[in-house]
Amino acid sequence: MLAPATLTLGSFTSLGAVANYAHKPLTLPTTRCPLLHCSQPFITTTRTRTSSVKTAVAAIDTDQLNSSDPAEKQQPNKKYYFVVANAKFMLDEEEHFQEQLAERLRYYGEKSKEQDFWLVIEPKFLDKFPNITKRLKRPAVALVSTNGPWITFMKLRLDRVLSESYEAESLEEALASNPVNIEFAKPENWVAPYPKYESGWWEPFLPPSASEKHKV
Amino acid sequence: MAAEMALVKPISKFSRSTPKFSNPGSSSYSKFSTIKMTVTSQPTTPPKPSKKAAKKAIKETLLTPRFYTTDFDEMETLFNTEINKNLNQAEFEALLQEFKTDYNQTHFVRNKEFKEAADKLQGPLRQIFVEFLERSCTAEFSGFLLYKELGRRLKKTNPVVAEIFSLMSRDEARHAGFLNKGLSDFNFALDLGFLTKARKYTFFKPKFIFYATYLSEKIGYWRYITIYRHLKANPEYQVYPIFKYFENWCQDENRHGDFFSALMKAQPQFLNDWKAKLWARFFCLSVYVTMYLNDCQRTAFYEGIGLNTKEFDMHVIIETNRTTARIFPAVPDVENPEFKSKLDRMVQINEKLLAIGETEDIPLVKNLKRIPLIAALASELLAAYLMPPIESGSVDFAEFEPQVVY
Repeated sequence: MLAPATLTLGSFTSLGAVANYAHKPLTLPTTRCPLLHCSQPFITTTRTRTSSVKTAVAAIDTDQLNSSDPAEKQQPNKKYYFVVANAKFMLDEEEHFQEQLAERLRYYGEKSKEQDFWLVIEPKFLDKFPNITKRLKRPAVALVSTNGPWITFMKLRLDRVLSESYEAESLEEALASNPVNIEFAKPENWVAPYPKYESGWWEPFLPPSASEKHKV
Repeated sequence: MAAEMALVKPISKFSRSTPKFSNPGSSSYSKFSTIKMTVTSQPTTPPKPSKKAAKKAIKETLLTPRFYTTDFDEMETLFNTEINKNLNQAEFEALLQEFKTDYNQTHFVRNKEFKEAADKLQGPLRQIFVEFLERSCTAEFSGFLLYKELGRRLKKTNPVVAEIFSLMSRDEARHAGFLNKGLSDFNFALDLGFLTKARKYTFFKPKFIFYATYLSEKIGYWRYITIYRHLKANPEYQVYPIFKYFENWCQDENRHGDFFSALMKAQPQFLNDWKAKLWARFFCLSVYVTMYLNDCQRTAFYEGIGLNTKEFDMHVIIETNRTTARIFPAVPDVENPEFKSKLDRMVQINEKLLAIGETEDIPLVKNLKRIPLIAALASELLAAYLMPPIESGSVDFAEFEPQVVY
């Protein structure tokens, strides 16, 4: 009859075991903790949160580069798929999008799967797509992945996005971006019976190289 | 799936006919259904005659969750890849991958908090919780039955679509099972096997199944995530641990809705003409009104977890409507304040209707008294339906697409 999940949580131990993916267990708490204590002033929580995210991202940078460089040399011109829209839509209005990305990151952590999706703010690859850029409000944010079918699914979910694909020689090239500061005005009449997700939720999903640059 | 569709044949539901079992697939409209409740012990509730406790007949009202069935042959034809060459298989393959990923495989694991929390829930809130679990379990189980059968029936003509249905029935079974275990914390259990046979099935043509289940899934997502986020911000109302599971849980609902989106996109005739627009608005309205009337009868539940029922419902309706506008060709203008006023008037009328049911009058007198109220309710509904709608739809189809700035 019914099959309520009774599987073990044993795979959780594998999180710590794989050093390469050390960023995943670290990012989990950062995406999950923030909203609980939202009666507190926003700024304090944001600040602590941002710093912890930066540490998390910085911690993987070297690992990520070490582990992915050889693979990239063997397999040049990997294909990347993306959906893109303006930052307000992607990062501020579509709150379910945040939940989805957090869910996927949690899943990748549980399965020790290497992350293959990123959020890229003002991506450089957009220059190759004049037909997209002429219809795009800026700053723009792209969700990029090497998993084509998943991007097809995300297009179905988000709908108000444009979708394309491109090839790049390295991950760094594929995810290169022009840094901009993203800030959203607080909604005028927030009627939901819960606080909005905090600004900056997207940081765990930015490409490692981008955060590295910000740091340096 | 949160079955929120009960207004489709409203009038017939006011008179209760004699108990009758109907077969899945038949479209007879008997108004009776029983949920067999196995009661192990009830130390916490006032003593009842034992016969009544062993088998609890649920009061069937206008708004009781329903089971659905459809024209499976037509479904087979619609998704036959031989006949229908335009099917966007890429979207289905993408969805299949997403469902196979099974994000929540290890999510639904209970702990001892459940029983402890249930024991602490006493008084009227306890009854309300049992009812909430029972209704939710029924709704999830109804999704399980429908998807399971569709998975079975479409296997030959479209294995990809069939497998997605099967994987969705996996999710629904998990949800229903989890809720049923929750009921056991309160010393109840829904006999789902009995339910399958005994409950009345509402028949919908495939097109209407798409509208109804799409809305059920998406509204289910918005209800669950709203409760979850509210309780996360206000943990003092976290009276029963099941709500802590809602964040991951409702992602399943959201994905299910996406699949119905893809099914409708694969059948553009259900989305792109004036009839589709009328039906789309009708289904939205039915689902929203059903939920509003339902929840306003159960304010104690929502207040018990710290929510204002009407504000909660309006939030859910507005968000669901915004989501639905990504696929339905037209949606009601629920953000117009007049929409809420109409809903509130319907609540008042519905309360009067319910009050008549509680009186000692003979059935004939009751029915006579109901007539003007039913007319008033129908006219409010019609007025809400005729409010100027919002043109909407997926950018993959919509005529306004060239003007969209992304």
